Amino acid sequence: MPKCIIDGREVEFTPGQNLIEAAKGAGIDIPLFCYHPGLSVVAQCRMCAVEIEKMPKLQTACSTLAAEGMVVKTKSQKTVENQKSVMEFLLANHPLDCPICDKSGECDLQDNSYKHGSAYSRTTEERRTYLDLDMGPVIKKNMNRCIHCTRCIRFGSEIAEIREMVALKRGNNTEITTIDGRPLETDYAGNYADICPTGSLTIKDFRFKKRVWFLEKVPTVCEGCSKGCNMEIHQDNNQIYRCVPRENKEINHYWLCDEGRFNFHYVEREDRLLDPARTKTSGLEVCDWASSIDLAKAALAGKNIAILVGSDLTQEEAAAVLQFKEQHYSQASIYHFGTPGILSTRDDAPEDRILKRKSKTANLNGLEKLGIRGFSKLSADVTGLLIIRGGRATLPADIDGVEKVGIGVFMKDQALMFSVILPGLSFAEKDGTILNYEGREQRIRRALQPPGQAKGLSEILMMWANRKTSHGAA
Amino acid sequence: MLLKKKKGFLQELYLIEIIKGLMITMKNMLFAPKVTIQFPEERRNYSDRYRGMHYLKATNGVENCTACMLCPTVCPAECIHIEAGERPDKEKYPVKFEIDLLRCCFCGMCEEACPKDAIKLSNIYEMSTTYREVYDKQFLLEQRGNK
Repeated sequence: MPKCIIDGREVEFTPGQNLIEAAKGAGIDIPLFCYHPGLSVVAQCRMCAVEIEKMPKLQTACSTLAAEGMVVKTKSQKTVENQKSVMEFLLANHPLDCPICDKSGECDLQDNSYKHGSAYSRTTEERRTYLDLDMGPVIKKNMNRCIHCTRCIRFGSEIAEIREMVALKRGNNTEITTIDGRPLETDYAGNYADICPTGSLTIKDFRFKKRVWFLEKVPTVCEGCSKGCNMEIHQDNNQIYRCVPRENKEINHYWLCDEGRFNFHYVEREDRLLDPARTKTSGLEVCDWASSIDLAKAALAGKNIAILVGSDLTQEEAAAVLQFKEQHYSQASIYHFGTPGILSTRDDAPEDRILKRKSKTANLNGLEKLGIRGFSKLSADVTGLLIIRGGRATLPADIDGVEKVGIGVFMKDQALMFSVILPGLSFAEKDGTILNYEGREQRIRRALQPPGQAKGLSEILMMWANRKTSHGAA
Repeated sequence: MLLKKKKGFLQELYLIEIIKGLMITMKNMLFAPKVTIQFPEERRNYSDRYRGMHYLKATNGVENCTACMLCPTVCPAECIHIEAGERPDKEKYPVKFEIDLLRCCFCGMCEEACPKDAIKLSNIYEMSTTYREVYDKQFLLEQRGNK
């Protein structure tokens, strides 16, 4: 591999790599604002300018490709002076409202100001201000904080494939806005906030909820569709505050769709059933675990049973269900369900050209690999259904008229169709393996402790199997 | 070997020694300056830097606090709980601002961390009660001490 010299160290790089990436490989950080590895290079912010030997002027590291024998100085006096001036220039109009800004703590401008800027301001002039228009339900804009890096404009046109953000006017009056002030249309709007190096674009859903430094970050995988995008759950005190994309160049690069980003809300919904319960004509009645398992067994005793597993279960859970079926309901048939109209991986296809896929559950491929077929229609001889799911799979239609027992995450209105409900865990509360559409094995991780009386599926099945009752279906 | 010193009759009575001791007691009791004060009626003046009960500062009736959460971040006792919200006249303000004084160690770091000069420690040092509740925002806004 060719080598160049950065800060006196010999650094190997792959041809075509720019200086920022080459330096990052050697653990040298070059400060930057407008450069993003997933977007095109514009060299607008000038923050990454470095001194290169035999070149008369400073060169922006993002737009300069590393070359054999190049001697780069990222900490020379000239470079540092430039960084200081750029910081002063950018902060000349920045409101410095970090105390009320949601970005503070993970803000590039803040970090670079600490590292490379000056602690004192030399200006006394009024700062430039803008009036902000609403940008739709996902993003809250605060144009005063903007440093015109145009990352959002480039994200829209290059990744989200919709040119909705534009830069109006010129120079000091540049305003980044949507065309005609329309609300954002893309399904990937949350990424605007992620890539924004300042607090100009922040997520409304997360607004003022938590300061970012309190959040514990759990690396996991999105369960929103069969793509298997990598993401992080940010939680504090057993409550999820947000989900952000995690870099994975093989799958989702740096992005996450809004559906996956805000999917976690169902985990904390008020009407989620957290206790074992039975339905009566008057409504739900909460029972304890032992008696509800007896009730569930009794409800299915002597019936011709089909087991429906949601394709949002993990491989481990699905395998446990299969084993449970072999040992206790060996006559029963077993099917998977998840998205209406998607019966197998053959029906699964990309929904758009970016990330989303048609199967709205994460582990469709995995359940197919375990030999479970898709559920299309209730056969006439089935009189009892055991429905097991996480929280994401859509319950199949046309399953009325049979005795139903549900295990998993259910909302209270959904629960009324079951005779007995045993509360299970959602994707944020369990560990497990899922297979995405291309068969890539990924792990989801527990971010929260199980809420209420909810239990893991293997524990529920174990209690079911071990509990001796007179009904004796097992 | 311990030798016992022979004493006279007067010395055996210790009367002179007792009177001598009482003289010192009386001198201190009647003529020396007093170090105690009559507490509820008289108050001692503490230094301006004394760290007593917290209060929230307000400017023109609007609390200075913007719920930036720097005080709960720096608080070693984790006794400050803030919930942020938005209202028309203020982009970010504390909907809830509670201090659990039972946990507070009066280190004054919240005061030091505050960028808005909002949370302060007053000179109020009489905080004993028969029961103690968490002090909420309204209470803290009303406390001023002698500042």
